[in-house]
Amino acid sequence: MSESVMAERRAAEQIVCVAFARLTARRGEPLHYAMMEDTPVGVLGLAASGAGLRHVEFTRDEDRFVERLLARYGDRPIVRSDALDRVRRALARYFNRKQLGFDVRLDLAGLSDFDRRVLTVTARVPVGRVATYAEIAAKAGSPQGMRATGNALHRNPVAIIVPCHRVLRSDGSLGGYGGGLRAKAFLLRHEGALGK
Amino acid sequence: MTAQGRAAHWLAKHGSELARHIRRLVRDDEMAADLLQETMLRAHRAAERLRADANERAWLYRIATNLSLNHLRSQARERRALERHAREADAAPRPATDGRDEADRRLALWTRVASLPERQRLALTLRIADELAYDEIARRLGCTVAAARANVYQATRKLRREVR
Repeated sequence: MSESVMAERRAAEQIVCVAFARLTARRGEPLHYAMMEDTPVGVLGLAASGAGLRHVEFTRDEDRFVERLLARYGDRPIVRSDALDRVRRALARYFNRKQLGFDVRLDLAGLSDFDRRVLTVTARVPVGRVATYAEIAAKAGSPQGMRATGNALHRNPVAIIVPCHRVLRSDGSLGGYGGGLRAKAFLLRHEGALGK
Repeated sequence: MTAQGRAAHWLAKHGSELARHIRRLVRDDEMAADLLQETMLRAHRAAERLRADANERAWLYRIATNLSLNHLRSQARERRALERHAREADAAPRPATDGRDEADRRLALWTRVASLPERQRLALTLRIADELAYDEIARRLGCTVAAARANVYQATRKLRREVR
């Protein structure tokens, strides 16, 4: 992106933040968001802070996603932005199988230590492989905490990027998924971890 | 929805591109922030009258563009008044600078654009201030590409005729 385009984007965002501050109580650091409207698993909403990616969520549409972000971050301006183009491209490469792995900086601030540990361990399950809730719980240092691990994975704010879809029940059944079991099965087939 | 809730929702979805649009028209960041704020307030006051199926984005563009062009028009008027005043007071003529000529031409252009029919006015500002392609203009205004092209064409023709 050229210097002048970047400068224009910054200036425009500054103007939006001024308007947010004058019209609402939102005076914090802006949170950027973008949409991916037609992926094989439906509509995805993405959001990032300056520190990294904070959300990849299954959502119905842009209005719903924006309302969720506004409700969740009461003190921050929410701004639709092409700052997330890199993540969008990475996800597009994932969906058309050009590159199934991700190299994306995450911002997991605000999560509990346990949730963060579970996500960190889950992020290490390689493409094409699966793990069980019990294995993830043990590696996260809580061998008895399978249910808590399932809940932590259900709260995974960065779906697909942190591959909670690769975590299954010990009997091989799919377990649960925030984006629905069809999406979970699709992602596993897509990665070659599940028969067609 | 409350005024605050609505403003937050619109600013989140459309704020950046509206800010860019206004900024390109008025070329002044402080004024652009005022105009974006005013756009939100006007939009909120008129929101009850907006049909549920109306194109929210196109509607916000309309308000923002009209406010910006009105601002430029009054700026041009002010400038003319000042110049008249200077002439009448028999002040020494200021040396004309290129920057000023450019600004004068710009104001004169937008003042004429402001008097075009609304659709032409909107399409033309997106074309020449935002430098958008016709398909992008169509997306923002919720019309067909052919309509965007036709509106820009009509607007340009009308302006040319006036200049002649």
